[in-house]
Formats: sequence, structure tokens, C-alpha cells
Amino acid sequence: MTDTNPFAHVRHEPGAAKEDPIIIADHVVRRFGGLTAVDVDHFEVQRQAITALIGPNGAGKSTFFNLLTGFDKPQHGEWHFNGRSMKGVSPAKVARAGKVRTFQLTKALNRMTVIENMRLGAAAQRGENLFAAFVPPLWRQREADITEKAHELLHRFTLYDKKDDFAGSLSGGQRKLLEMARALMSEPEMVMLDEPMAGVNPALTESLLDHIVKLKNEGVSVLFVEHDMHMVRRISDWVVVMAEGRIIAEGPPDSVMRNPEVQEAYLGVHHDTDLSEESTS
Amino acid sequence: MKRSLDTRVALRALVVFLIAAVALTWLLSTQSTAVATEFAGFASASSVDAAGPPAVSEALALTDAKVATEVAPTPEQTAVSESQSRVFQNVFNGIVFGLMLALASVGLSLIYGTTGLSNFAHGEQVSLGAMLAYFFATDQPVSIPLTPWEFVIGWPLWLASLAAIAIAGASGWLQDRFLWGKLRKRGIGVVQQLIVSIGLSLAILNFLQWWIGPNRIRLSKAIEVRQQVGPIQVGAITMMSIVIAGVALVGVAFFLQRTRLGRATRAVSDNPALAAASGIRVDSIIRLVWIMAVSLAALGGILMALYDNGTKFDVGAKLLLLMFAAVTLGGLGQPYGALAGSLVIGVVVETSTLWLGPDLKYATALGILIIVLLVRPQGILGRAERVG
Amino acid sequence: MGDLLVDVLREAFTPTTAAFALAAIGLNFHFGLTGLLNMGQAGFMLLGMYGFAITIREGGSIWLAVLVALALAVAFGVLLGWPTLKLRGDYLAIVTIAAAEMVRYLGRSQNFNDLTGASTGIRGNEFKGPFENLSPFPDRMVEIGPFALHGTRSTSWWLVVVAWSIVAIFVVVFWRLSRSPWGRVLKGIREDEDAVRSLGKNVYSYKMQALVIGGAIGAVAGVIWSLGASVQPDSMGRPTTFWVWTLLLLGGAATIFGPVLGSILFWSSLVLVKGLAALWIPDDVLSQQELEPFSLVLVGITLMGLVIFRPQGMLGDKRELAFND
Repeated sequence: MTDTNPFAHVRHEPGAAKEDPIIIADHVVRRFGGLTAVDVDHFEVQRQAITALIGPNGAGKSTFFNLLTGFDKPQHGEWHFNGRSMKGVSPAKVARAGKVRTFQLTKALNRMTVIENMRLGAAAQRGENLFAAFVPPLWRQREADITEKAHELLHRFTLYDKKDDFAGSLSGGQRKLLEMARALMSEPEMVMLDEPMAGVNPALTESLLDHIVKLKNEGVSVLFVEHDMHMVRRISDWVVVMAEGRIIAEGPPDSVMRNPEVQEAYLGVHHDTDLSEESTS
Repeated sequence: MKRSLDTRVALRALVVFLIAAVALTWLLSTQSTAVATEFAGFASASSVDAAGPPAVSEALALTDAKVATEVAPTPEQTAVSESQSRVFQNVFNGIVFGLMLALASVGLSLIYGTTGLSNFAHGEQVSLGAMLAYFFATDQPVSIPLTPWEFVIGWPLWLASLAAIAIAGASGWLQDRFLWGKLRKRGIGVVQQLIVSIGLSLAILNFLQWWIGPNRIRLSKAIEVRQQVGPIQVGAITMMSIVIAGVALVGVAFFLQRTRLGRATRAVSDNPALAAASGIRVDSIIRLVWIMAVSLAALGGILMALYDNGTKFDVGAKLLLLMFAAVTLGGLGQPYGALAGSLVIGVVVETSTLWLGPDLKYATALGILIIVLLVRPQGILGRAERVG
Repeated sequence: MGDLLVDVLREAFTPTTAAFALAAIGLNFHFGLTGLLNMGQAGFMLLGMYGFAITIREGGSIWLAVLVALALAVAFGVLLGWPTLKLRGDYLAIVTIAAAEMVRYLGRSQNFNDLTGASTGIRGNEFKGPFENLSPFPDRMVEIGPFALHGTRSTSWWLVVVAWSIVAIFVVVFWRLSRSPWGRVLKGIREDEDAVRSLGKNVYSYKMQALVIGGAIGAVAGVIWSLGASVQPDSMGRPTTFWVWTLLLLGGAATIFGPVLGSILFWSSLVLVKGLAALWIPDDVLSQQELEPFSLVLVGITLMGLVIFRPQGMLGDKRELAFND
């Protein structure tokens, strides 16, 4: 779809340098007791591309995700977003810097309406200050703008009809859509999706995939964790494979899937036996 | 986002406690005259209080009142040896108190471990045991609420206690069968269950007051004769209580370590989902835990009533936060932690009366509880939870 | 029977009812909006009344006294929240209940007899003067309809008017805030902290704001309560907190009029139940002094029933259950 492939000159090896990286991470180590969950030497994510992070269960993908978004703190390591160090930065500030994430277990705010969920995603609403909240004229205009933007996104994500329903009444797939739409309210530069397809019925996965591709075309960088190889192959420009906390391979989808190390990592580790990692996020 | 030791949280806790300590010291210094008289006339003042009406002695820590009465008539002792023997005596009292507290907190901890419920009604289980024992043992006429008949049961204490523990155990079964089990099945979250347990505690507490009345009651008319053993004074009933509490606790430990059911219980406590997956019948284990927890609490209530030479309908309510302190100190859901925590809390509570007034002794335990929660929320023996 | 009806209606508007409505509005900021399990609301109330009564007893003006009461509650809230709001929810419950009990233990301690009056507390005539001097009502019993209250002293028409005006003010405050973007963030935190964090909001700061505001309202409730009675540490024990919870859940958590309706219903029906029981149940089955615990057993059962069967309370939206995880 684009004329110049930004990955044309990127080597197919772990920790490869990218042309225009939006995320750079170095020596990130996270241990839980004796277990090393993440041990990443070097990691870069290309701007305005779709990067998939894959790996067998227990590979440390979700933990790495949590580290990059400030939801967990590593024992040591450095990482930058857009040239800004994100070490020790709180999740809220990471989000305000333009890197918004979603969760593996969808976190729709169940007892709020869909539209309120959306409004909450917006940035720069002065009415969120306690004292300004008393004076509606200070925030009414912004609220109207936010609502308009929310309507637009809800139309796009086919949730407009549900806007006054409680989020808890939506189906699992719709909640995933809502979470993604909500993340876009703040017009982030980058979205990080933790297993966006998990638990979504096949009819909706297509539209979810389309949304992700559209995001890229609008200039948003996407990093997502996924299990389903079929999805990864369809939409990602670049695939990073983790196993046992390390990055073991990188490359375009097809070549990575053929990589013997990757195949061994997947086949060598029996799926779904390790409950400790993915079930507790 | 819980970490083994978050330095920032620890630092905050430290600052909070420095501020609290400074405030307390300042307040104490402005009241210095009152404190001085309080300390000088400590023994005599407490004995007066102990003899006073129930409303006043309630303020006093129960055991302490008794010790003070017995220490008071020995003014000829020198101040130094008296204070020394008081330290020993208080530490000893603390250990005894801790053992009895442990009977209650082990159950609380097991319930938390297996169901995730912080049971605010557990204090009432302690009271329930003591009240039931009184109901069966007393030679005063008793009645059952909403019935007009009065009658005297007057069983011997051992029989009354056994009956009380059996009924308490049955009430544990009933509770789990008709309340907690149902709530779990309906998928009601632990926060709601916590509030339900508060409702239950209000209901039982007031039911006991309605049933037994608001006055201080005694299980046994016998007056304990205390003997000097080394630096401490100890009586036969106390010794018996220690032995019974010890045997019960060793029994629980044996059950948890050596029996199939006990190992299953620990497995459920570790990871209910995994335990269920490996074929353990989680619901029956939890029911067993309820029966055990409530019986142990009842035993604790009875022993404490004997040791304190009296009890009241709200004895457990007063202990609840001490139990939480002990359980949290030992690590939520760790039965041995609860035992260790109880002993620490018992000793701290009793020895704190050497420096602070007896009416502040529970406050020290709550102080410890708060510090532990702030600095090391997983307790002494607990493991840091992993988020990810 | 007619007397009972008058008693029930009278209970509906006494200053105590207003005080509990206020305390529940405070708790509504904590639990209803933010999902914080504050089990120490009585501690905030007690601090408020100590601050107010002691300041006046030491010669401060009534406005200074109110400020001191608020400042104490704010400080208490910050001290409690600063280290604990990062911990799991039920830890906050245990810390707040323990801290509130500590306030009570310290207050009733002989060590602070000169300051707090220990377990006897502070008598009304030591601190009610300045408030009662402001009264525009006559200094005698005044009958309005079937209700006879003193014009100025203690549980007076003057206090009734002031108390319910304050309740009205805080109902408006709650309404304004809960419908604002600020309230929206709090509701988001109630639903899922991490989600709100991921949307760029400083969750910790919002939780602190909610804790402090709710606690300060609790302190005001304590002041009103003490003006109708006296400062008595043991009246602000754990049961008081639990009553506040019960009546909040009765009215409906997160609703605007829930706390007010809940408080009125709670206290009136308590009087009604006691009155009916005294009328209908013979004395040898349920004696006079057994009425109090009997009705409190019912309160406990009500609390359990509410949480299990009607978590949204009287006014809550059936879909917006007060709980569901």
C-alpha cells in the first residue's frame, strides 16, 4: 500500500535497528522472585507501522507490554518513546505522552454508558479538575467537542446505536471495539493492543483488523500482542517473537514463521500448560 | 501493582508515622501531669477501675485489670523488682493472650485463604462460643429470644463447652451452606461479601446482647488461686487454658501438614482454580474450613472467658481488629503466619501497658496493623503477589 | 398509635437524621462514586466534633471551630490516603476501620482527659453556646403542628433548619460534581482503575480528592451530630460507620438523593419497628431493654439483604447496580 517499505533495509534479527523508531528499549529486565519474566537487550518499534509481538504462553509478552506502558516496573533498563525517556514514568503520563494501551481482559467501564466511556478517553478536559468542575461554563464547550468526536468514532466502530447503553451490556467483541475506540479519543501517536482478538467472534475480527489497518493509514503506530498467527500474518508489517523473556527473532511475517528457532519455541513449549503467566494479567 | 517492598510506600508510611508520633508526643506532653499521675498511681488506679461498674472496666483491658488487682496489694516490694516482674508477667500474659487470639485468627486466616473473604463477622463467632457455653453452664435462669419460658440448664463446664463448640461448628456449616456458599455460587464479589459479613456481625452482635444481656458474665464461679512460678504468677485455670489452646493449635497444624484433607486445604488456599482443576472438591474443603474456623473461634472465646474470669456479648467485636492485625502481620491466608502474628500482637498488647495507659493497649495493636499494611502488606510470612 | 406516627415523622427530620444523611453523602463520594471502601467514616465524624467542640471550649469563634473540624478531617484523610490508596481495596477497609478505632481509643484515653474529656467526652454546655446564640428562634419550646421542639437549645428548630440546609447544600454539591467530567473520572476509577490510568488520568490524585472531600463532609456531619447531643467518643464506634453504610445502600449508592432518603427511612423505620414491637409483642417475650438490640439485629439483616438482593438500593438504576464485578 505504501511505495517505500520502511522495513526494506532492516535486518531480520533480534533487536534490529529500525529506520524511524518510535520506541527504543535497552536492557529491560523484570524478575519475579527467581523467575526472569523479561530480559530484552534491545528493541525498536518502527513508527507508523503495525508491529506484532508474538510468542508462546509465558514468553513474557504481557509483562513486557506492562513495562513499556508503565504498569509494571523492571529491575533495570531504559526505554524511550519518541525520544523521551519513559523510565519510571507513571502509566497516566505514558498515556498523556501519546502512547495508549488496551488490555487483554477487556476493561470496559461496565456501569458507565458507552458514550461516557468514550468521553473519559478524551484529553484536555478542564472539567476533570475538581474546582473547574463546579463551573460548567469552563468545560461545556470542550464537552460538546468531545461528544462530537466520540459520535464520529462510535459511527466508525459501529457502536453508535449503543451509545446510551451501559458498557456492561455489550458483547465481548463490542467491548473490544469500545476499548479501542476509547483509546483513540485522545488522538494518540501510538496504540498498544494486548491481544485485541482474544474472545472476539469471527464476524467481528474482520472489522477489528480493518480498524487496525486504518489506524496505520492515518499515521498511528501500532504494537500488538497476539496468539492467532493467521491474524498476525494478515495485518502486520513486522513481527517480533519472544520466548522465555527474550526476543528470539524479528522479521516480516512470512520469513519469521519459517524461522526454525521460532518453530521450535512454539512446538517445544506445549501450549496452555503454563497457567502462571497469562492468566494473572 | 503490589510489590514486595515499594520504597515509596514505605517512605510515606514512615513519614505518616513520624507525624503521628510527634503529634502523640506533643499531646502527651501537654497532658504530662495527667500522665504522671496515671503512671504513678497505675496499679491502684486500675484496681479501683476493675472494681468499678462494668462501663468503666470495659475501658480497661480485661486481663490487665485482674493482674493489677493482684499486684496492687504488694506495695512493700521495691519499685525496680516490681517493674521487672511486671515485665515478665506482662510478656507471659501476652503469650497466653496471643495463644487464645491465635485460635480465632487461624480460622480467619484459613477463611481468607480459601475464599478471599475478609470476614468481619469473625469476632462474633468468638463471642458466640463464650455465650453458648454460658447458656449451657450457668445456674441462672436463661431463655431463648422471642419465647416466654425461662429455664436452668446448668451443665458442668466441660459439657457446656463441648456443646457450645459443637453448636458453633454447626453454625459454621449452616453459614456456609445457606449464605457464603450461595453467594460464591452467584458470583458475588468479595467486596460485597465483606459488606454482607458486616451486616452479619451487626446482627449476631445484637442478637447476643438481646439473648444474654449487656452485663459481664462468668463461666465459672471458681476463683483462680495464683501461684508464684519464678517471676510470674500463674493459676491452674490459666495453665489448663494454655494446654487446651496449645493442643488445639498443634491439632490444626497436624491436620494441615499430615492429613489428606489438610493438604487439600492448603492447596485450595494456594490456588483455588488449580486445586479445582486437580480434582479437589473446593466447595467441600471450604465448608470444612468454615466449620473448623468457627469451632476454633468458639473455643478461643470460651478459654478467654475463663482466663479473663468473665466475658461479655461484645468480647469478639473488640478482638476483631486484633485478629486482623495478627492475620495481616502473619500474611493474609497463611495459617502459621496467623499464629505467629497472634503471639506478637498478644505480647505487644500486654507489654504496651507498661508505657501507655491500659486503655490504649488495643490502639498499639492497631498501630502495628497499620504499619504492617503500609510497609509490608503481604505480612511476615506472605509472598508478594505477582502482577502480570 | 397516633403518638407513634408523630414519633416516626419527627425522627424523619431530626438533626441526627440530617447528620447521618451528610455522613452518607460523604461516603457516597468514597464508595458510590469512587468505589473506596472507607470503613472509618465514624472516625472522620469524631475528629470533626472534637475539632469543633475543643476549639469553642478554648475560646475560638464558631467559624474557626468549623475550619478546625474541616482541617482535621482533611489532614486525617491525607494521612490515611497518602500511603494506602495504592494498596488493594480491602486493605483500605482494614486501615480505615483501624484508624477510626484508634481515634476513638485515643479520644477516650485517660491520657488526654484534659483535652477530650476521656470516655465521658465533652458536655454540650461547653461548646454549644456560640451556635445557639446565633439562633433567630425564641428560647423556649415551640410547637409546629404536632411537633414540639425547643427553639434554640440542643435538638432545636434552629439546629433542624441549619442541619437540613447544610444537607441541601451538599446534595447540590454532589449533584454538580457527580455530573461533571471530574465525577466521570471517579466513576471510571470505581469501575477499573487500570483502565482509567491507561487513559492518562492520575488515579491516585483523584482517589485522594474523593477521600478528603467525603471525609470533610463526614466531619461536618459530626459537628451537627454533636450539636444535637454532645461529644461522646463511644457513640462514634464501628456501629456508627456500619449504619452509615446501611443507610447509604438502602437509599442507593451513587445516587443523588439516596443518602437523604436512606437516612430518613433508616431512622424512621427504626423508631417504627421499636414502637410497633413495644405495642404488639408482649413484654415477657421482648422486654423494653431488648428492643434496641432487637431492632439492630434487623438493621444487620437489612444490610445483608440489601447487598444480596437489591444492591442498587431504593433509588439506584437497576442496570447501574451498585456492584458487579
